Amino acid sequence: MIVCIAVVGHQNNPLYLQSFTEADDALKLHHIVHCSLDVIDERVNNPKKTGSTLNETYLGLLYPTENYKVYGYLTNTKVKFILVTTHLDVRDADVRNFFRRFHSAYVDAVSNPFHVPGKKITSQTFAERVSTIVKSFGLSSAV
Amino acid sequence: MIGVGKIKQYSNVLDKPLSRGKQEFCLQVSLSAFAFLFSELVQYNQTQVDNIAELERRLEDAGYAVGARVLELLCHRDKGNRRETRLLGILSFVHSTVWKVLFGKVADSLEKGTEHEDEYMISEKELLVNRFISIPKDMGTFNCGAFVAGIVRGVLDGAGFPAVVTAHFVPMEGQQRPRTTILIKFAEEVLRREARFS
Repeated sequence: MIVCIAVVGHQNNPLYLQSFTEADDALKLHHIVHCSLDVIDERVNNPKKTGSTLNETYLGLLYPTENYKVYGYLTNTKVKFILVTTHLDVRDADVRNFFRRFHSAYVDAVSNPFHVPGKKITSQTFAERVSTIVKSFGLSSAV
Repeated sequence: MIGVGKIKQYSNVLDKPLSRGKQEFCLQVSLSAFAFLFSELVQYNQTQVDNIAELERRLEDAGYAVGARVLELLCHRDKGNRRETRLLGILSFVHSTVWKVLFGKVADSLEKGTEHEDEYMISEKELLVNRFISIPKDMGTFNCGAFVAGIVRGVLDGAGFPAVVTAHFVPMEGQQRPRTTILIKFAEEVLRREARFS
């Protein structure tokens, strides 16, 4: 179950946050996303292994909290995607696939000439596409 | 029989794969359409400003928006989502990939400036955007390539390499029309970071 998905700009300003459960309130999710930004910064500035992982966009599991798992993804322009999920046995390949499709939707949203870079993403189409991707994530990994 | 031999329809032009192989030089957008649009852009901006420097700045800002989006699109579509962290890497990315996608061919040459450490030049015999434009004498050194300079600045800025980019005409002996050079001057922090890497 994906709890929420967030897009954070290159100056750590929030661009988009969408939650998919009614139970948790937005503040708690904002807090979780904010904490994960520190983990991302630490991963980017001090790479564990040099070479292939230096330029990788998919950052993997950032940190597990008591009932959530947080995954991160970094694009070329330092825009970060954060995925918070309660799924217990989520596979790496599924998350990578999810981020790939999410990146597609993000690129389409940014290519909008009326979108101001650095401001929040207000496109309805983007929100719909994200909901579709999130729904299919749940189904495909429920094997 | 429904569905047999059906070619996949792309609803979004950004989803279509780039032309490969034989269609390598097939332009996706008609040159004349772009030339008309660009000439209108220049004329519109000309009515809004009263000096040359302002006009150049406006064209550059227009190009900056294009550059930022082109970077996102190309990195997702072409580069397999790898980030460029080195100076030469991002320069060759601009010089080949970006030019290929925008103008259908790689740029003519990429050179390092001799006077200053932080200057690089991308030269082109004739910029595509300038093909149907001739500058009147009283406009001095104005170059509509400022639009392309803006695109390059947008790409470099988005990738984390702040720079000042300008377009210049360089007269060549033996040729009637001068060559166009895009001059890229990187900011201090980029050079310091590059020095730390190597």
